[in-house]
Amino acid sequence: MRKLLVALTVVLLFTGQLLAQKTITGTVTDDKGNPIPNVSVVVRGSNTGTVTKSDGSYSLTVPASAKALIFSSVDMATTEVTIGSQTSINASLKSSDRSLQEVVVVGYGTQRRKEATGSVSSVKGSAIAQKPLQSFESGLAGKAAGVQITVPNGVVNNPPVFRIRGTNSISLSSYPLIVIDGVPTYTGDQGATSAPANALASINPNDIESIDIAKDAAASAIYGSRAANGVVFITTKKGKVGKARVNYDGWVGFTKPTGLPKILDAQQYVDYKNAALNNLKALVPATTGSFIIPTDADGKPINTNWYDEVYRNAFSHSHNMNVSGGTEGTTYYFSAGYTNQEGILQKNDFTRTNVMLNVDSRVNKILTIGGKLSYSNEKNNIGGSSGSLPGEGFASAGAARLAFALPPNVSPFNNNGTYNYASATSIGSQGSIVNNANPYTFNNVRMLLDLNRSNNEVNHLQSNAYVQLRPFSWMTLRTAYGIDNMLIDNDIFFNPYHGDGPGTGTGPGGAATASYSKDKTWLWTNTIQLDYTFFDNHNFSLLAGNEQQRRTTVGFGINRRTLSDSAYDVVQAGFTTANPAGTSLGENYLLSSFGRLNYDFKKKYFLSGNVRQDEYSALGVKKGVFWGASAGWEITKEAFWGSIGLDKIFSSFKLRGSYGKVGNVAGIGNFATFSTYGSGLYNGIATLGFNVVGNDKITWETSKKTDVGFSVGVLNDRITADFAWYKNNIDNLLLNVPQAPSAGVPGNFVFQNVGTMFNRGVEVSINATPVVKKNFSWSSSFNFAYNKNKVTALANGLTEIVTATSSLETVNKTVVGKSIGFLWVIPTGGVDPATGKRIFYNAAGQPIYYQFGSPLPPGQFTYMTANGARYEKTNADGSKSPLSINQADDGRLYRNTQPKYIGGWDNTIRFKDFDVNFLFTYQFGFSIYYGSYAGLRDQRFWNNSTDVLGYWKKPGDITDMPKPIYGDNVSNGSAMPMDVAVFKGDFVKLRTVQIGYSLPKSLVSKAKITSARVYVSGQNLGIISDYPGPDPEVSANGNTATSAGVDRNTLANGRTITIGLNIGF
Amino acid sequence: MSLGLVLLTSCHRELLDPAPQTSVSDATAFDQPYRIANQVLSLYSSFKNGNFYGGRYIVYGDIRGEDFLLEDGNLVTNADVWNLNPTNTANAIVGLWNQVYSLINNCNVFIDGMNEKGTLVVGTTIGNTYIAEARLLRAIGYYSLLQYYARPYADGNGAKLGLPLRLIGIKGAGASDLARSSVAEVYTQILADLDFAETNLPLTNGSNYNNTTRAHRNTAIAFKTRVYLSMQNYPKVIAEANKIVPAAGPFTATSGVPHVLQADYTSVFKTPYTSLESIFSVPFSSSNGDIPGTQNALQGYYYAAATGVGSIFSLNFAGIIGNTGWTATDKRRSFIYTNPPGTKKFLTKYPAASPADFSPVIRWAEVLLNLAEAKARTTAGVDAQALALVNAVRQRSDATTTLAPATNGDLIDAIMTERRIEFLGEGLRNNDLMRLLQTIPSKSTAGAKAPGDDGYTWPASSTEKSLNKLWVDN
Repeated sequence: MRKLLVALTVVLLFTGQLLAQKTITGTVTDDKGNPIPNVSVVVRGSNTGTVTKSDGSYSLTVPASAKALIFSSVDMATTEVTIGSQTSINASLKSSDRSLQEVVVVGYGTQRRKEATGSVSSVKGSAIAQKPLQSFESGLAGKAAGVQITVPNGVVNNPPVFRIRGTNSISLSSYPLIVIDGVPTYTGDQGATSAPANALASINPNDIESIDIAKDAAASAIYGSRAANGVVFITTKKGKVGKARVNYDGWVGFTKPTGLPKILDAQQYVDYKNAALNNLKALVPATTGSFIIPTDADGKPINTNWYDEVYRNAFSHSHNMNVSGGTEGTTYYFSAGYTNQEGILQKNDFTRTNVMLNVDSRVNKILTIGGKLSYSNEKNNIGGSSGSLPGEGFASAGAARLAFALPPNVSPFNNNGTYNYASATSIGSQGSIVNNANPYTFNNVRMLLDLNRSNNEVNHLQSNAYVQLRPFSWMTLRTAYGIDNMLIDNDIFFNPYHGDGPGTGTGPGGAATASYSKDKTWLWTNTIQLDYTFFDNHNFSLLAGNEQQRRTTVGFGINRRTLSDSAYDVVQAGFTTANPAGTSLGENYLLSSFGRLNYDFKKKYFLSGNVRQDEYSALGVKKGVFWGASAGWEITKEAFWGSIGLDKIFSSFKLRGSYGKVGNVAGIGNFATFSTYGSGLYNGIATLGFNVVGNDKITWETSKKTDVGFSVGVLNDRITADFAWYKNNIDNLLLNVPQAPSAGVPGNFVFQNVGTMFNRGVEVSINATPVVKKNFSWSSSFNFAYNKNKVTALANGLTEIVTATSSLETVNKTVVGKSIGFLWVIPTGGVDPATGKRIFYNAAGQPIYYQFGSPLPPGQFTYMTANGARYEKTNADGSKSPLSINQADDGRLYRNTQPKYIGGWDNTIRFKDFDVNFLFTYQFGFSIYYGSYAGLRDQRFWNNSTDVLGYWKKPGDITDMPKPIYGDNVSNGSAMPMDVAVFKGDFVKLRTVQIGYSLPKSLVSKAKITSARVYVSGQNLGIISDYPGPDPEVSANGNTATSAGVDRNTLANGRTITIGLNIGF
Repeated sequence: MSLGLVLLTSCHRELLDPAPQTSVSDATAFDQPYRIANQVLSLYSSFKNGNFYGGRYIVYGDIRGEDFLLEDGNLVTNADVWNLNPTNTANAIVGLWNQVYSLINNCNVFIDGMNEKGTLVVGTTIGNTYIAEARLLRAIGYYSLLQYYARPYADGNGAKLGLPLRLIGIKGAGASDLARSSVAEVYTQILADLDFAETNLPLTNGSNYNNTTRAHRNTAIAFKTRVYLSMQNYPKVIAEANKIVPAAGPFTATSGVPHVLQADYTSVFKTPYTSLESIFSVPFSSSNGDIPGTQNALQGYYYAAATGVGSIFSLNFAGIIGNTGWTATDKRRSFIYTNPPGTKKFLTKYPAASPADFSPVIRWAEVLLNLAEAKARTTAGVDAQALALVNAVRQRSDATTTLAPATNGDLIDAIMTERRIEFLGEGLRNNDLMRLLQTIPSKSTAGAKAPGDDGYTWPASSTEKSLNKLWVDN
């Protein structure tokens, strides 16, 4: 700070020199003649300047030597006017909608894109507004190079997988830092129920002005220890001076599920399962029973389509109203929104009510104050569980799984109208019996959907206030205080009869959980910004600041079990046992100082440096310095460029490069440095035991980022393009390093900074306006990104990180030399045409034939070699014991789950009063483990895909469906994952289409409205992919970095059609 | 600018050093007598974890033997243990190893803390009592691991590979590598711990509840009879037992807690579970963290519901319940439930789901039978005291039967049979087979395992093997 003061004093001395002067006045207007306030008017090559008033007028005293005035404003193209002898200069600014002329948010300030040397992608708020999304980031897919968005399923308000330039951490968060109006906010599912509560859903997408995505070290280093995954800056809408504008936007939408697997009907099911059962009877004569089709109350055969019980055609609607305007330096933007969106899963709803107010007031030439108040209430409801959230993949109550696995020959209801269930875990078999028992050990999903709930309600308050002083045109002092408070109520109820609720006791069972969590952030930021030009051409911009961020979390709740009265369904009612639930208490504090220096010479050579020192309470080594440096060269400004004629082709050509070091602390526990003793009970008496090993040496993960690229404009910037090559070397990865269990440390691991990984890639984005005519225009934007991810080191004693899906099935392994979360499955060799057996390959590559059944007839073995002998090993004492195929010994690292190529193609066409927008997104070069595929071929009582009907029937049959034997869960891949369930995930998706019609001005003005537009849009309309599952955009494990690319019992995505209306007054 | 300076100095540096409020830092864990007292109880909590005496350890001991049949082929619930073929990644192999070593390290950390500071805080007498409790639990931990992962003592008189012997508390990374001590070395440490415990534990803890749920002097002596029996050191079994077992009936402990057989066998396994027969049992409540946990509780394994349906193991008709000398009126048979068709039988010793029944660790009946066996194996013919002891156990439940073996061999057989009847469902069967290097008999579809067979002892936990660079397999 002292150094800053010295610099400041020097600057002040410079400005003390006064010269001969004259005064120039004028008005600045836009191309329609409307006055523009707040335009910066500066004498070229000096720091003398002012800003325009609300009527667009200005008055500026300039030195006699002044040659030209430069007029500049956000969203406007900068204009330069020669002064000459004039004393009155009016200027007209054109609005700039070309990307290179935009302003980009760079953290604690903005920068003109032309002058930015960091790698920043920008998306306008309008691009994601008016869509049936719950949160803005779901709409970013395909919109920016290197930004990967995967919307994993059709559960409403589920956070998408969000990656910038690949996955940049193994065990910490890989989610970018999201900064909303200067305040870093919460991300991810913050609820504690089966209905996800994406923290970012509190931002109404319609209130967003712009989204700027900082990708390299130069652009993100100002956020230091939190920048490794990139930084996303959200700027909400502000008012503009002028008459109040009122806008209404509303839509109604209809969503239906797409891509559901085709499954057997009751007749097919009964025929197929009986065939499988007969095959088992032939092997194991003791087997008895059969599957039947019972009749319903009307005497008709039961044929239940469980899809109808689980899915629905959903209806959604949304209404947004905003008022903006301003007078005499005070501007305001107020909005209110309500949206109710039904999921395609029955009982799954998202409701948001939100208001936001942005006010900025210029008190006088020097002082500006303002602030934001944003409140959002969200209700996330679900009946039971979708089975699609991380950890739910194998939930026996998972609705998506039950929809295709429940047998079609049973009904959700008995013929007397009561629910059909046999026990807590089994639906009634209604007559089908195997081995004297009900074979149907799945839940009746209808009952769970009707009687259970797993809801949460979020109250989210995001607010800030600032005071800004501009004592000189080149100096800005600002202090801002912000809060971000998330208060969540969780409400879970399990019915006492069926599913997860019934207890083992004799009472009615039932369970209810209520918990409350309170996450609070306050943030105080102080900055000083100096913009100064020396000797006409040396432009300096210096930022210095400090910031404190405090986060606290408090959670408490109760879990009550065994209802006193089976009619109760709320936690406040009578229950016989109670346990604490959802207790948490945490705090952290981040103390930072930072600075940035931008320099350019004649807007030709650019240099920029960012530095930030962070001290973070949760770390052992608390203090770190992060930085990024970059340089740019606008070649078109060089004389030789014109001399060789390149200026006729390129309107701009800027080379840039950056390097820097940033960190990642997201996901480190607040008290991970402490070794602690925890409280417990010994028959109800308090105990205290050593239960956590801390590591007081832990520190941030480090990302060293290099970025080299260039930006070009061709044909007067009608085509612009950005190219970037980047490398991100990550080291000090924080991993739970396993310790030998005999050391006995709690958890058998110690959290340590070990391990390295890199992401390298190339990005291209091209924006073009191929056609601009009065009545017809077409603008197009295409982006492409290639990324290569590789883990280069783990830890001593940690050669692989094996990550299970819902702790039951393991198909992901992270090993050195491969990309993170590689698929790990057992190789197979199809179905033996002679016997109909599944062929597995063991680690030695030998074919091993699997035979289900126990006890097997003489001469038959569970695992047989090609010559019909038992697959066995010889023990040390010479005896033999049978061997089996198993994943630990025979599994193979098979394919990558990280997409290599991602991108999108966005087009907008205007024809007279019509506009059409369509967006394609694509991802290539990755594979998916389609776990549901195994379930859909399971030979237990589970319903199957119609694919099974081509099963092996007689010797010589060539098929991929083994001879069905009732109970076989190995040949299909349920017991251990097989390579045949791995598919290429490559896809091209027609993600959105919108067709709008703006009512003619002549018509709307009669109705006393400014503008009116109606539109029809579609989401998720078409897909080109060889992937056989519902949707190749999957993530059964949410944002978990090490277990991507798994589709296990996941709810399908929906296809949505909306009809909307937008009216401006 | 002055405003700016005010802002800059207003940061809260103290917030950079928060302390957890929901747990106790290791720096202050030994500062207060009550904290130290609570720590002792946490060692017992660790001991009764579902992977150890909370259930699974007892289950392993029963189901490796021939008296139980598998009802649910789920690997998670020990189908492989029953089949005598668990792999080195099996739940049982990894779970027991992890939990017992966790207990051992907790004991070591506690003992270190007491030596550094704790004993000064609570005084030498109480301090030594606490350390004695920790060493007793550590000893049971080591003893229990030896019975599964190492060759029996009888195989080479303890010369075979035993366990990594960890006696210093570990609170951080870098301690993974430690070679295995020999079986004999581990037994030496176990006995040193138990001798220390015998010397420093109080004669009584003051109440039946405390005498059952916490160690006292007789707990250490009783456990030593089990340890020496496993080492086939019968004279020492007799020496230890003679410290508390009188020469003739009624066999009431002669010093310390006056242990005695209860008139009604079934009362030992019923609330309040704290009879004078229960030398050491571990209790449960219905609170989270104080329960055996899912798929660990004895109730779920043996008698999951009032009809037995859902139980993971049933009783083998060809096992001890088929013993014709075990009369129908024997009180101990009242714990056998037969389902209505008569096709299945289940053990109902542990019917309570929540709170779970206490888990028995050691009972007075075992001390009596340990002594009886040691006497029988060291005395020619039919030793009178041995016969009196085994008949005391038999006639407490079956007054009409008097065992009258004719030879020394018959006497030993009678004692071994009595152990199977008396301790059915208490986890002793595996240890009794292995200490004598006997073949584990076959049952149903599971074949027998001779002492030389793969699977007679358990394989090393895969994680220990991969992370402890000094590990050597059996």
